[in-house]
Amino acid sequence: MTDPPSKDKKDFVTGVDSNARKSPRRVVFVTRRTSAQVKAVDEDQVQTFPEVLFRALVAIEVLSILLVWIALLFNAPLEGVADPSHTPNPAKAPWYFLGLQEMLHYFPPVVAGVLVPTLVIIALIVIPYFNINIEAEGLFLQDRQSRLRICYVVAVAMSLFLTYFHVYVALVPTLIVIAFMLLAAQSSPQSASPFRRYLAAQPLSYWIMTWFLFELVVLTVVGTFFRGPGWSWVWPWRN
Amino acid sequence: MPEEKYEPKPEAGKELNRRDFFLKLGLGSLSIAAAGTTVFAYQFLSPNVLFEPSPIVNAGRPDSYPIDSVTLDVNSGIYLIHAKEGFFALGAACTHLGCLTVWKPELGIIACPCHGSKFKREGEKIEGPAPKPLPWLRTWVSDEGDLMVDRSAAIRPMQFVRV
Amino acid sequence: MAKTAAEYFENLRESRVWRSIFRSGTGTSTLHRSLAIQQNIFLHLFSTKVRRRMLNFSATWYLGTLTFGTFVILVVTGILLMLYYHPSVPQAYADTKDLQFVVSSGLFLRNLDRWSAHAMVLLVFAHMFKVFYRGAYRPPREFNWVIGVVLLLLTLLLSYTGYLLPWDQLAFWAITVGSNIASAVPLLGNKIHFLLLGGNLVNANALLRFYVLHCMILPLAAFFFIGIHFWRIRKDGGLYTQQSEPAAVRPQPVGKEAQ
Repeated sequence: MTDPPSKDKKDFVTGVDSNARKSPRRVVFVTRRTSAQVKAVDEDQVQTFPEVLFRALVAIEVLSILLVWIALLFNAPLEGVADPSHTPNPAKAPWYFLGLQEMLHYFPPVVAGVLVPTLVIIALIVIPYFNINIEAEGLFLQDRQSRLRICYVVAVAMSLFLTYFHVYVALVPTLIVIAFMLLAAQSSPQSASPFRRYLAAQPLSYWIMTWFLFELVVLTVVGTFFRGPGWSWVWPWRN
Repeated sequence: MPEEKYEPKPEAGKELNRRDFFLKLGLGSLSIAAAGTTVFAYQFLSPNVLFEPSPIVNAGRPDSYPIDSVTLDVNSGIYLIHAKEGFFALGAACTHLGCLTVWKPELGIIACPCHGSKFKREGEKIEGPAPKPLPWLRTWVSDEGDLMVDRSAAIRPMQFVRV
Repeated sequence: MAKTAAEYFENLRESRVWRSIFRSGTGTSTLHRSLAIQQNIFLHLFSTKVRRRMLNFSATWYLGTLTFGTFVILVVTGILLMLYYHPSVPQAYADTKDLQFVVSSGLFLRNLDRWSAHAMVLLVFAHMFKVFYRGAYRPPREFNWVIGVVLLLLTLLLSYTGYLLPWDQLAFWAITVGSNIASAVPLLGNKIHFLLLGGNLVNANALLRFYVLHCMILPLAAFFFIGIHFWRIRKDGGLYTQQSEPAAVRPQPVGKEAQ
């Protein structure tokens, strides 16, 4: 435990299964002459009470103070009474749904409002149930050629799809992530720069999640700041 | 309770023994009860009386609409349009996500403020994410000579009402 | 000699009443500190000990703790707001206005509820991505990750249902747009839309349904899943540690810590 982290060493333990019946692990082996002795991997622990609870309390307190200041300084929005006969222009959902609303601008509701969120939730749920995500090998460390080919096909397909529907807002993050993936394919654990070594070690799930995070942020920011009347494009600094 | 040893009899493959019978009876009645609960829950959650405005709208005298005019009645959410061919009514709620559209007289189009759908005066979509054109609504002239529109009844387009 | 506050507190802890409430007893030994966690119905969800390196800010950014903090703030402010709010049309809007201009501290409480809701959504997302990038979803923590996804959805629903309650233009049209997405579901869409709103339009029924969801059903569900979420952290072996994070130092000899 005390040895310094080496670079080629992985960040995690694989194959730790919670199912004791399937993968039994020997804890101790007791022979007749020796008494049982547990060789536990010790590491420095602190008592939850009071130290951890105290820290948690301080963290929550700091947050509360921050929120209280925000609540004192900024008033929550309140517009006129609800009027079904007049739609404000633009009508915007809460900010965390503006990414969704931005997609609703491009795709029919059944795709953007139902299919995509459902797929996202399913994708999030299944992450820990795939061994490829558990082992988390660098994406291009094995089968580099064939994986690179798949990567190209997916990249071209997605770019064409997004261009066809004029979703340039989502196209830009896609292209940037793909560029980094190609850079990762050209990198290896022996690369000179630490950044490229880092890229080379990233697994498939990392790339998908990063793309998702990137799209989420970009679509939400665009929906929040760059959309004006009639959901047309506006520049927030040009009032 | 004394410990009972449950041993299936050799011929138990075919006939139902008592334990299986009660298990099946229990599960069966539970699933019937669950199905019944679902139906009752659904019925309970759907209100039987709605305090919503009537779908049939009296739009007033036909001669109050000049020719080539588009009038949005915001309270009922319909357009009454007097075209050269006659009168017709369109639902004003965008077919995309139900925002109330507005008539842009300077462009001669109907535009939705929410997601940027645009429609022609006859309801056909010009651009935007709306999946369907704006619906034509059943329109007729009442015995008193008023224009009537049924908001719940969509009809095929291009059925003008002549007065 | 004047007693210090700590001494007063120590006396209080040794009093019969205190000891009848807290089962763990007094004392600062490791045993007593463990008992303080174990013997408390709420705290026993947590493990009695935590790896020291997991206390580093960089390990968790305290995102889970902070999310829970916003949830507590929201429960408290939300219950207080309920005292001055009627979920009916158009009274709801008048009540919101009253909270803003008439009720003492009403404006502050409403602001705090609103901004904490935004903060909670932000923190839940941040927590999820932090957990993902640390790889902390790995077995045996799979199911706790799934519960986390459920909590993410509950948070979004809580925030969304709360959005309608002021009954202003912002609320009305956000809910109109949002509920029409539900009608896009194939086959069942219109039925879901009808059940969600209790009618065909966003109206008094919809407001009441969203109120019940926001103040009763969803918070209860959130409490339930938060409980499991915390408990599973202990059962799954504490917070996830990465091998490369600052290695542990040898534990101090027993008894030294107790000083």
